[in-house]
Amino acid sequence: MRDGIETARQGLPSVALVTEEFWPQGDFVAQSFGMPTIPRVQLPHPVAGTGVESMRIIAEKVVPEIIAALEGAK
Amino acid sequence: MTDLLEAVDEYQALEDLHEAGCTDGLPVVIPTPERVERMVLASGLDGGLSLGNMGPSGAAATVEKVAVAAVMAGALPDYMPVVMAAVRAVTAPEFDSTEMQGTTHCLAPVIIVNGPARHSCGPVASGFGCLGPGHRANASIGRSLRLVMMNVGGARPGISDMALHGHPGKFTFCLAENEEDSPFSPLHTLRGYDVAQSAVTVAGVEAPESVLGVVDADDPTSARKLLRGIGQSLGRVGANNAHFGRGAGVVVLNPDHAAALARAGLDRDDVTEGIFEFAVNRAGDLKAVATFDRRALKAEHDDVILPAFRSPEDILVLVAGGGGLYSMVMPSWGAGPHHNPSVSVEIETDQFCEVPGIAPNGSIDAPNG
Repeated sequence: MRDGIETARQGLPSVALVTEEFWPQGDFVAQSFGMPTIPRVQLPHPVAGTGVESMRIIAEKVVPEIIAALEGAK
Repeated sequence: MTDLLEAVDEYQALEDLHEAGCTDGLPVVIPTPERVERMVLASGLDGGLSLGNMGPSGAAATVEKVAVAAVMAGALPDYMPVVMAAVRAVTAPEFDSTEMQGTTHCLAPVIIVNGPARHSCGPVASGFGCLGPGHRANASIGRSLRLVMMNVGGARPGISDMALHGHPGKFTFCLAENEEDSPFSPLHTLRGYDVAQSAVTVAGVEAPESVLGVVDADDPTSARKLLRGIGQSLGRVGANNAHFGRGAGVVVLNPDHAAALARAGLDRDDVTEGIFEFAVNRAGDLKAVATFDRRALKAEHDDVILPAFRSPEDILVLVAGGGGLYSMVMPSWGAGPHHNPSVSVEIETDQFCEVPGIAPNGSIDAPNG
């Protein structure tokens, strides 16, 4: 979240990828660092360690959402 | 000025604080304006003075807010200089309080107290059971810091404090070094402080783990065996440090172990270097467990030795506890922007103000005058 906020502050289109388990923490950090509307895309939890095929399925689902979020952030 | 909450009585106030998530789950002393005011007065500082910004909220930990936490924790006004130094240390930028509080790893800042403040701002226990219950200063100083981390820093389990399990040191985690019974120089002198100065040293660490070490005066290798046991425990294969190769490590030698090491002709540096030398793993042993350590995964062969710490200076050694068979180690995290260093801050006792109306036993409920 903080990386997304930092890059957004530098004027770069940014989107934070946050798993569903960490979504409330994302809310807290976004509020705390003064960017409550930072674009975010939700991932299932966990992603790490779920295997290449699982990650491929997740990526296929979220890539359009990431692109849409980045286009909205331009 | 901190906002005021209202309740019909202290029982209801306690329930309201629990309900609002402002406690650690145990009962607290209700921070009435009078109690907080007296605690601020004891600090000798302006209530609005910020001691630093506490993550993950980034809010200012003012003297007044710290005083609220100290009252809630059951601290005596005498302890305020130590509590404030601990807050300064944890809010130091290199401590990375935002990441420290937000990580999934189980970390709590252990507060190590050195110098005359161990007595004048306590007593902060350094002997038998110093990491356990029964010592008011240890218990309430550590608890004060935790309540600042929760109520100023905004750490809430599963929301902004993402530790998967936490550990009991997140309730309170404070001890002093037993400088009088240590054959080594006090810990804070390594950070440039004089023995007559007082300081806290904080490190974000896992829960303490016991290390058994049998000392045999007839065995010339006894000291080295002791260092091996301590080093291998600190750098054990399940600890983050083993896989990151960095972070702070804390070793609490009991006075008997410290004396045995000194009798073997070792000074503080020798002890720290010896522990560092043994806090290592074979690449093959790391690969045999679940690791992301690129040093291990890319090692030329399984017998490549990988240190758990960057240098001996990252391992804090102090003497505390009762004398006997056991010392303690506290591995740490190794991650975050600054890689989880320890931080030392001077305890400023010259600002402390004895508050009229506070009874000699330190009760903050004594009548005025």
